[in-house]
Amino acid sequence: MDIFAYLEGMAAQHGPSGQEAQVSAWLAERFKPLCDSVTIDSLYNVIALKKATRPTSDGSPAPKVMLSAHQDEIALMVADVLPDGTLRMGSVGGVDPRILPASTVMVHASGETGQIRQMLGVVGATPPHLLSEADRGHNYKREDLFVDLGMETEAVKKLVQIGDLITLQGPATRLLNDRAASKTMDDRACVGSLLCAAEKLQTMNHLCDIYFVASTQEEVGAWGAYTAAYTVDPDLAVVLDVTHATIPASKPDTTVPLDAPAATYGPFVQHKLLDRLKKTAKDYGVALNTEYATSRTGTDTDLIQIAREGVPCVLIDLPLKYMHTTVELLDMHAISECGRLLAHFLSGLTEDWGAELWN
Amino acid sequence: MELKNLCEMQGISGREELVRMAVYHECVEVLGEKNVTIDRMGNVIAHKKGTRRNAPSVLLCAHMDEVGLMAISYTDDGLLRVRAIGGIDSRVLVSKRVKVGYFTPDHEPLNGVIGAMAIHQQTAEDRKSVLPIDQLYVDIGAKDQDEAKAKVPEGTPITFDTPYTPFGDGMLLCKAADDRVGCYNLLRLLHAKTKYDTHFVFTCQEEVGCRGATGAAFRLQPDIALVLEGTTANDMGDIPEAQRVCLAGKGVAISFMDNASIAHPALFQEMMALAEASGIPHQVKMSVSGGNEGGAMQRAGSGAKTCVLSVPCRYIHSPSTVCSFTDIEAQYQLCKAYLEK
Repeated sequence: MDIFAYLEGMAAQHGPSGQEAQVSAWLAERFKPLCDSVTIDSLYNVIALKKATRPTSDGSPAPKVMLSAHQDEIALMVADVLPDGTLRMGSVGGVDPRILPASTVMVHASGETGQIRQMLGVVGATPPHLLSEADRGHNYKREDLFVDLGMETEAVKKLVQIGDLITLQGPATRLLNDRAASKTMDDRACVGSLLCAAEKLQTMNHLCDIYFVASTQEEVGAWGAYTAAYTVDPDLAVVLDVTHATIPASKPDTTVPLDAPAATYGPFVQHKLLDRLKKTAKDYGVALNTEYATSRTGTDTDLIQIAREGVPCVLIDLPLKYMHTTVELLDMHAISECGRLLAHFLSGLTEDWGAELWN
Repeated sequence: MELKNLCEMQGISGREELVRMAVYHECVEVLGEKNVTIDRMGNVIAHKKGTRRNAPSVLLCAHMDEVGLMAISYTDDGLLRVRAIGGIDSRVLVSKRVKVGYFTPDHEPLNGVIGAMAIHQQTAEDRKSVLPIDQLYVDIGAKDQDEAKAKVPEGTPITFDTPYTPFGDGMLLCKAADDRVGCYNLLRLLHAKTKYDTHFVFTCQEEVGCRGATGAAFRLQPDIALVLEGTTANDMGDIPEAQRVCLAGKGVAISFMDNASIAHPALFQEMMALAEASGIPHQVKMSVSGGNEGGAMQRAGSGAKTCVLSVPCRYIHSPSTVCSFTDIEAQYQLCKAYLEK
């Protein structure tokens, strides 16, 4: 798979939490050639099934594995139209106001007809020389900033409604050493790893039914993954999400190196499944770091684990610098390695995978 | 030359070579080689004789340089430490894309991004305090210090990576509108049927203190100087009317005074009357703010009558400057009317 081409494609899709229609349709097309069936459910979860390629020895139903990586993105919304035609912003998910000054954004104006029109805007702020000495030392708060559409107030009022979405702009940018930066690497880079795994599995055997899920509404609480897990009713789940890679300001034990996937340990992760994952990594020469979560992981794991009667989960993390900015930076090699690890993990699941889970 | 090319061209103060050579070649094409020189500061000076005898000498100038960054050192893990060249509020740098090094026939610039700690890991204090430039880094994806140093020598110029984008109603979003719009109009004015003995001066190093203009003004000592600039428009958001400086889309801004110079009252009045009579959209720059090459022009040698004519620019000195095509055209039309009247 050409990972950079995938990143360019995904960064051009808009899909704030709860509004994933466009991105889910685009992702469904990516899964179709690799899976037996692809559906989009009422929360816009993409659920792609790749059926088992070898039967169980006693003819019992194949175990079901759910893989989950989320497709939604943090965004903003129109909170008010000011008398000069600029827009005040509200937040959809955790947007850091520090990234906004002089950023470009896309306003999805619903107009009078409800027909969405995408309009480019620039985020402006009161310039520093008009601020008091004290305010100059502070970051702008979201309430201080505005979106400039380059239009007269009358025109803006005709086109824009309060509640219209505003998405961030961050095209895929290629850097040195197979690294790349874009918006929404969190978590569509991990959906890329799912696609890599699906591609590898075309020439591998597996006795489990594999449900690739590009989940929704993760940034507001993993709500899409929760209903998808009800639908799939998996025996076990592997969640992929991003984690923080080390930067100069990082504190000890809060980050992992950029160049390899990591696996999370802690109560929300089933430790025997984690051991199996680590062994797979070792057997196939995939570099795998580890990190901890003392309770909630801040990923789909938190709700998949308690879906239906409960689901044993493992969590693989792709390290990322500058999370929740429009320059989320990661290593493309780590994306494909994560896919390779996943493919071997799935292919290596034997009928007795659950036997030793709880002792 | 197209405005798009000029705005996307890279040229921080002191490193204007790409703009300089592009401008030089166009001047030579229009006025002939013997009428164009590059002076000892790196300004491009083009000369055109006037049609009127004993007319005063006129100098028009626009600056080639833009604000940007310069690489100064490297972190252990291969990030670039940078400093601003010209006045940049560090708050506009977070989460932006840059080009590291220049486009030349045998060299492509590297992509870079300016990141910051994720919101999840910030303390309450982090959220409040502005990240100064010495805590911001350009990330080119280098693995370590040695690689970064080999790819990006100290002093490498870094510019904003902003494609030229018309948007809204007749507005333009770009980098370096200050002052490539002036360069663009100055190139168009080479074709004017000027009555005056006219020098067209494309200056360097305006953003670090009008270094180029000072030398050019001394050399040429014109009777009259017109400065084609891009200036701050504070016309959006909660800004009191009196602090808006000028309004994007409402015409060329004519300054009676700024922090660097005072317009000659008769010249100022002449410009206002000319704009009025010719139906050219114009406005008076409402407040005494900003400084520019008007100062160098006004006080070179025994002095010149000066007037600054600006295109209002929102979010000036940021990666996303916004200005109006109406105002760019108005700046050109007013200068043309003055030279040809």
